[in-house]
Parts: sequence; structure tokens; C-alpha cells
Amino acid sequence: MLKSTMLQSAGLALAILAGVLPAGAADLGAKDEPIRLAMLEWTGAHISTHIAGQLLQKLGYKVEYVTAGNFPQFSGLADGTLSASVEIWLNNVGDIFPKVLAEKKIEDIGKLGLETKEGWIYPKFMEQVCPGLPDWTALEKPECVQALSTPETAPNGRFLDYPADWGSRAATIIADNNMPYTAVPSGSEGALVAELEASEAAKTPLLMMFWGPHYALAENDVGWVKMPPCKDESNEHCIRPPDVDKIVWSGFGQKWPAAYEFLKQLQVNATDQQKMMLAVDKKGQDLDTVVKAWVEANEAVWKPWIDAAKE
Amino acid sequence: MTNAAAAIRPAWRSRVDLGLLAWCGAIAVALLCLALKTRLPWLVTFPKDWTLPIAAGINAISDAVVPLVQPTFRAFSALLDWPMRAIRARLVWLPWPAVMLAVAALAFKAGGMRLAVFGVLALAYMLVAGYWPQSMSTLSLVILAVPISTAVGFGLGVQGYRHNRVKPALTALLDLMQTVPAFAYLIPLLLLFGFGPVVGLIASAIFATPPMVRNTMLGLERVPEAIREAGLMSGCTGRQQFWRVEIPTAQPQILVGFNQTTMAALSMVIVAAIIGGFEDIGWEVLSSMRKAEFGQSILSGLVIALLAILIDRITLGFARGGNDSPARRLTGRRLLVVLALSVFLAVALRLFLPEGALLPGSGLRGQAGFVNQWLLGVVRDYGWLFDGIRNGVLYSLLLPLRIGIAGAATPAIWGFSWTPALGLAYTAAFLAGALWLAGRFGWRWGVALLVTGLFLYAGFVGFPWPAFVLFAGLLAYRVSGAGLALFAVAGFLLIMLAGLATPLAMSLYLCGLAVVLCVLIGGALGVWAAHSDTVSHILRPICDALQTMPQFVFLIPALMFFKVGEFTALIAIMLYAIVPPIRYVEHGLRHVRADVVEAVEQMGATPTQTLLNAKLPLALPVVMLGINQTIMAALSMLAIAALVGTRELGQQVYVALGKADAGMGLVAGLSIAFLAILADRLAQAWVKRREVVA
Repeated sequence: MLKSTMLQSAGLALAILAGVLPAGAADLGAKDEPIRLAMLEWTGAHISTHIAGQLLQKLGYKVEYVTAGNFPQFSGLADGTLSASVEIWLNNVGDIFPKVLAEKKIEDIGKLGLETKEGWIYPKFMEQVCPGLPDWTALEKPECVQALSTPETAPNGRFLDYPADWGSRAATIIADNNMPYTAVPSGSEGALVAELEASEAAKTPLLMMFWGPHYALAENDVGWVKMPPCKDESNEHCIRPPDVDKIVWSGFGQKWPAAYEFLKQLQVNATDQQKMMLAVDKKGQDLDTVVKAWVEANEAVWKPWIDAAKE
Repeated sequence: MTNAAAAIRPAWRSRVDLGLLAWCGAIAVALLCLALKTRLPWLVTFPKDWTLPIAAGINAISDAVVPLVQPTFRAFSALLDWPMRAIRARLVWLPWPAVMLAVAALAFKAGGMRLAVFGVLALAYMLVAGYWPQSMSTLSLVILAVPISTAVGFGLGVQGYRHNRVKPALTALLDLMQTVPAFAYLIPLLLLFGFGPVVGLIASAIFATPPMVRNTMLGLERVPEAIREAGLMSGCTGRQQFWRVEIPTAQPQILVGFNQTTMAALSMVIVAAIIGGFEDIGWEVLSSMRKAEFGQSILSGLVIALLAILIDRITLGFARGGNDSPARRLTGRRLLVVLALSVFLAVALRLFLPEGALLPGSGLRGQAGFVNQWLLGVVRDYGWLFDGIRNGVLYSLLLPLRIGIAGAATPAIWGFSWTPALGLAYTAAFLAGALWLAGRFGWRWGVALLVTGLFLYAGFVGFPWPAFVLFAGLLAYRVSGAGLALFAVAGFLLIMLAGLATPLAMSLYLCGLAVVLCVLIGGALGVWAAHSDTVSHILRPICDALQTMPQFVFLIPALMFFKVGEFTALIAIMLYAIVPPIRYVEHGLRHVRADVVEAVEQMGATPTQTLLNAKLPLALPVVMLGINQTIMAALSMLAIAALVGTRELGQQVYVALGKADAGMGLVAGLSIAFLAILADRLAQAWVKRREVVA
């Protein structure tokens, strides 16, 4: 990744030297037409989007936040109804994303830099139920399977999987390792969070698929299973930290050149994001105010991005 | 007379024997299939090689057609986008005191002082809870969707009334519009209309139009002949006859349609929010569901419920013509003056106050976290109880129904295994029961018990599909005729050919169980409410809340108490589907002819006898309508139950939404619609047959 950025910047430098780019490459462009940023369903994305939005405003753009479903947003990005979406989790993009990407209707402008995590989690008290956790072999012991077994999965243990429409890698990995577990699809993110919170409250055993940063992790003490070795390196058989990318409509660079350069630079830090998530979700503070406070306190972080865009 | 009876009896006899014979034959086929199922596994699991690429076919067609028609639809979308943004901008711009004044005036005109107070309180709640701008966004969606649905619905209704040939096709279309879950056609809509709030608007309009069409047709058909003739005799032209005679006579019914259309449009706001593009109250409900924040979801769900009740009462009030005497003093002209005053107030407030000065910060919703704490406290203290209930129902009801008694009777589940001796005893018990029922109440009851026994033995998922299709076809044939039988058989076979055999079985199992439980529990509550005003008063607001609150709200506590799984899905479906049996049974029993009941009581019948032998049979048509509504409600919840992790047709709709697979979504959605339409036709035919017999 580092290599590609270096190559990119080298290319950019060359282009400027050679005068290939028109003089107005870092122009503001159509600054009177609002840039429409997709506001996805989760708070983390709200924060990333508002950081991008407030900084774009500092650059001199008009910004409009448009609520968008995680899958429907791609039809909006493909035809320019939405201009950009800055926090796309590539592990959950359905089949529509690769399709419109291949048709060159949208453009992937690089990583957001969010340190992500994905895997199997359990509430911390499970370490007493299944001694040997976080190592995955602890899950194979009969008393552990017994504790996680439910009428629907008996005699197997119950593994709470992602909703069916997100794909089911856990079931594949369970099968790869012949583990005595049945993957139960959860139906929605709310169902995953509700189960985690209820499990913590009633101290009922739970093993499930999850990802971070997520505000539920800030509230509940969880452990991450040390995963069995992957059968092969494909996405289906192996869980690696998911990539989070910034996506723009294919005409974005032409229409708003400076904003395009800026968004390429934009990075969001997971720790910062999780702090802001807590402030918004649990302390009931206003999203815009929370992000504004971050922007004011972190000029050193974002100043270079704006400078790069203005160059 | 004896001669006539003698002449009738043989004919009647032979008909009965034929039906009985057919059923016995079908049962024999089912037994044969069950006996052969280990040798011929395709009898139980629909073979994969037989499935046809129906969804892929639809996708291929749509891939070819969409680019051709897309520009037209996109232009239409752009045309609607503009007024939608404008209305929303205006409503959000209006300061709340002005909106409140206007709504209070309208409510007063429609329903007097009480409604006006309710209106002000409801709006005040939206303000205090911190959902004012979102509520106004939602209102603008409804304000635009309702006139579209009303105009289109009125036009279609008039056409359906005038041209008898159009009517069957129109009715079929309306059935589809009301029964295909909206999630199923979101992808095609997105392809055609592009991303944005307009898609939500169109989805709302599709769902909200049918009641207007149906009521317009009904109203026009019910115009008495005498009035029509009076119009003709006084020399009306065709146009005068229509606008001056028929429409005014049909107006009350048409206004009922308008009221239902408004409610339907409002019930679609959540679906509209799934696409996004519009920060409305549906979006808030979805977000809180995503975070499993029960407090916030109640607060935002309540906004939708209050809006629904307020709009319902106001439109109903105007439909009735504002009969209250104080309301009459507020003449149309005075109402206009008040409305103008509120606009003036709005402009004044805007000019003299800074932006957003009147809106509270984040409102109550920032403080709603304690509700979740309380909920989790309940989970902590009573988790063992909820687990016990869930496991009890799972072991004793859900599992046996799904995998059959023979499947559940294993050491792992019930602690003993199924022996041939047990099988023999099971068969003997059901045969004896069936014979007894046949002797006492007629052979149909005996056959029903035998079929139930078969389903209990094999389970819904393990039931041989050829036998199932045969049963469904035979039932439709006996109740209605060859047409419906053909519809049923073709429909079920098509669903299986599309590769949805297992989701179909899961849907039938979940919905079937939910309907039976709802009719039993809801029916009992309805009987109780019919005999006790206190119970009726307690149940009414609960029913209102269950029907108007978005169902997503109830998913969160159900999930925390009972975990992801079939039991939670069952609870979710039942919470919505239990309302019709309560309402219809109470209504039916309360409106039984008083003289008949009195006569029965004077003959010395006990209260139970009066209920079972007089009141319930008399109320049966209304009760049947209630059961019909229960089935519709249960099927409509399939798409929502998918959010708690089920494996039925609703889940297929969701998966298709995630994959942007238009064909698969449509096939799964049409399958749900097919079940709903079939159930409706069966119920209608059954009621009609009873009427003919009576």
C-alpha cells in the first residue's frame, strides 16, 4: 500500500513537472454545487463523514449530508446523485459494489486508514466457561460446546453469525476445522448488538462474529478468539482485518479537483473515532459539535491534507 | 316432501363419498411418500437439478429492458424530486409554533376541542423528544405521496367501475401491490428511478394506492339505482350524471379510501428510509434498531404512531363532515384566516429570531439510555425465566412442527427415541380420534385430524412435497373449484421450481403456527373484551400501539429476552398478527343480534352455551374476516421477522436486496404474495359456500 502511494505521489510529481495536468488541477471546481456525502447507518460512518464534510467546508465547498442505505448508496454513487462515501467496509459491500466498480461508474480513492478488526468474539466471562480461551482449541472442549448449545443447534454449540445477506464465512471456517458448532445467521446488526448486551447482562454464554471499531466494544468487555489456521488465503476461508476505503463517483475528480485531492489524503483514526462514537451514542451529545471539537483540536493532523489539496 | 328428500339424498350421498374418497386417496399418497422417503429422497427434498433459473431469467430481461426505459423513469424521478425537496424545505423552515397553530385549527375543525388538544400535545411531544425536523421530513413524504395515490387510485377506481372487463386484471394488480413486500421491489425501483427519496415516495405510492381504488369502485357500485334514475330523469348529461349524482353519493366510501390511503402511505416511511436520501423519522427508527437502543426506538416509533393517529382522526373527521357543534363555528373562511395567521406568524418568527433558536438541542432522545439499562436489568434478573419459556416452546412446539414428532423424538431432544411401537400407538390414536370426530361432527373433521396427524408426524420441512401440493390443490378444489385448485398447484410448483422449497416450508411453518396461536389467544382476549368494558378499554390502546408503532421497535426487547432464532421471529410475527382476531372477535360478538341472544338465554342456556352455540356462530362471518386479516398480517411480517435471523421467504427478500439481485427479490416477494392471495381466496370461497348452504 505504501508502495502504491509512493508511486502515486511520484507520478503526480512527474505530471506536475511535465505540465501534463492543466494549471487548474487543484482548482476548487464547481464549488457552488454542493458535494453530497453519503451518511451511512452507523455512528462511526457519521463521524468520518462529518470530519470530511467540515474540512471540505473549510476548503470552500458546500456540503450536503444525504442519508443512504449501505447497499442502495452504490446506485446513488454510480450515477452521481451521491458524490462520495468515505467509510466503505469492503467486507460488506454485497454484489453491487464490484459490479459498478468494474463498470467504472465509481472510483476507489484509497484507504481511510481506520485500524479495523474482525473475527470471533466472546464476552470476557466466557474465559471461565471455556478455559483456554482466547485460543480456538478451547472451543472444541465438550464442556464449552455444552455451554454454548441451544435446542436449535443441539448437540452442536451455537455460533452467532453475521446476517445472511452479509455472506457466511464463519460457517465455512467452522466446517474447515470440523468444529462442533452450527452457525446461526443473526438477521441484522441490531440483533448482534442486542445479543451481546443481553449476554453480558445475564451472563449467558455467547460466541459470535463481530468487527471493530464498534461502539458496542467500548461498553462491553470482550475477547477475540485466536483463530485456527486458514485453510487457504481466500476471503471465504480466512478472516483478515477488513479494508475500509473511500469511494467517489467517477466524475468527482473532474468536477471538484481540490476536493478530490483532499479526500485522497483524508485519514481517520480508530481510537479518535471510537471516543467520538461514545460521546454521541452514549452521552447524547450533538454529532456536529463533537466533530467540530475534534477538528479544532487536531489542526496539525488535517492541515497537511488541506495544503496538499490547495497545491 | 318425503319424495323430494328421497330424491335429494342419493345425490348428496354420492357427492360426500366422492370428496371423502379423494381425501382418503390423498392421505394414502402421503403415507406412500413417507414410506418411500428413505429410498426416494427427492420426495422430501425438492431436487436441485429440477430448479429453473427463474430469477436469472428475470434479471436477463430487466438488464435488457431497463436501459431502454431508464431515461423516461429518471426524468419522471427528477420531476418529482423537485416538489419533494421544496415541500420538505418549507416544512422544516416553518417554526414549530406556526405548524402547531395550523394543525390545531385543522384538528379543531375536524374533530372539535379534544382532537385539537391531542394534536398540540402530539406535536409538542415530537418537539420535546428532539425529532422535529425528522417528523417534518416524514410529513412531507406523506403530503406528496397521498395526493399521487389518491388521484391515481380514483382514476383507476373509476375505470374499474366503468369497464367490467378491466376489473379482474385490476383486482389482481391491487392484490399484488398490497401483498408483495416493498423490500422485494426496491431494487427494480432503484434501477429505474435512481437513488434518492423519490424511490421511497414511489414505494409508498404503490402500497397506498389500492385502498383508494377499492373504495372508489365499491362506492360507485353501491350508488342506489333510484338515485341514478332520478339523475337521468332530471336530464343530466353523462358528465353531470357522474360528477353531480354518482360521485357525491359515493363520497363517504371514497373518503374512507382516502383515509386508508393516508395510513398506508405513513406505514411505508420505514421502507423509504432503508434506501435513504431523506433524514426522516423512519431513518431514526432504523438507526436505533441498528444500535439496539430500545429507548430511542420507542421515542422515534412513538412519533410515527402519533402521526398516524393524528392524521387518521383528522381525515376521518373531515370525511364525516365535522359534526361537532363547536367545530361548526369554525367555518371554512375562519379556518383559512387561522392558516394565514400561522403563515404570518412563521414569517415573523423567522425574521426576528436566529436560525434554530426555538428548537431544543438533542431533546429527550439523548437521555433515553436508561431504558436500555432497565431492559438489561430485566434480562439479568429474569434471564432464566425467558430461557425457560423459549426452550419450553422450542422443545414442545417449534421443533416438532418443523422436523416432525418422529424427528424430535430422539435422545438429544426429547430424551427418548421413536420406536415402531410408538408409531403404532400414534397411528391408532389418530385413527380412533378421526373416526370419533367423523361420527360426531361429519367426515370433514375426521379428515382434518388425519391430515394434522400427518403434518405433526413428518414436520413442515420433512413433509413430502408431492403430497403437500396434492393436499393444497384438493383443498382449493373442494372449497372453491378447479380455477383456484389450478392456481394453488401451479403457484406452489413454481415456487419450488424457483429453488425456494425450503424457505417456503419455513414460511408456512412459522406463519401457520403464528396464525393458529393468534386466533386462539387473540380470540380468547376478544371474547373477554366483548363481555367486559374494562378489558376492552385496556386492550384498545394496546392494539392501537401494536398496529401503528413500527414493528422494528418490538424486535429489540424480543431479541434481548429470547435471542436470535425462530422463537423470537414467532413472537415478532404474533405481536402484529394478534390485533385482528382481538378486534374482529370483539366487534363480531358485540354486534350479534340482541333478540337472538335473549331468546337463547331465556331458553335456559348457560353463558358458555350462549357463547358457543349462539353468539360465535352468528358472529362467524366477522370472525372469518378477522382470521383472513390475521393471515395477511402474519405474512406481511415475514420480511420484518427476517431481521431476527430466520430462514424463510422474507430472508430471501433481504438477501436479494443485499446482492442487488432484482430477480431473486421479485421471485421471493411474489411467493409471499401468492401465499397471501391464496389464503384470501380460500377464506372468501369458504365464507361464500357457508352463505349458500345457510
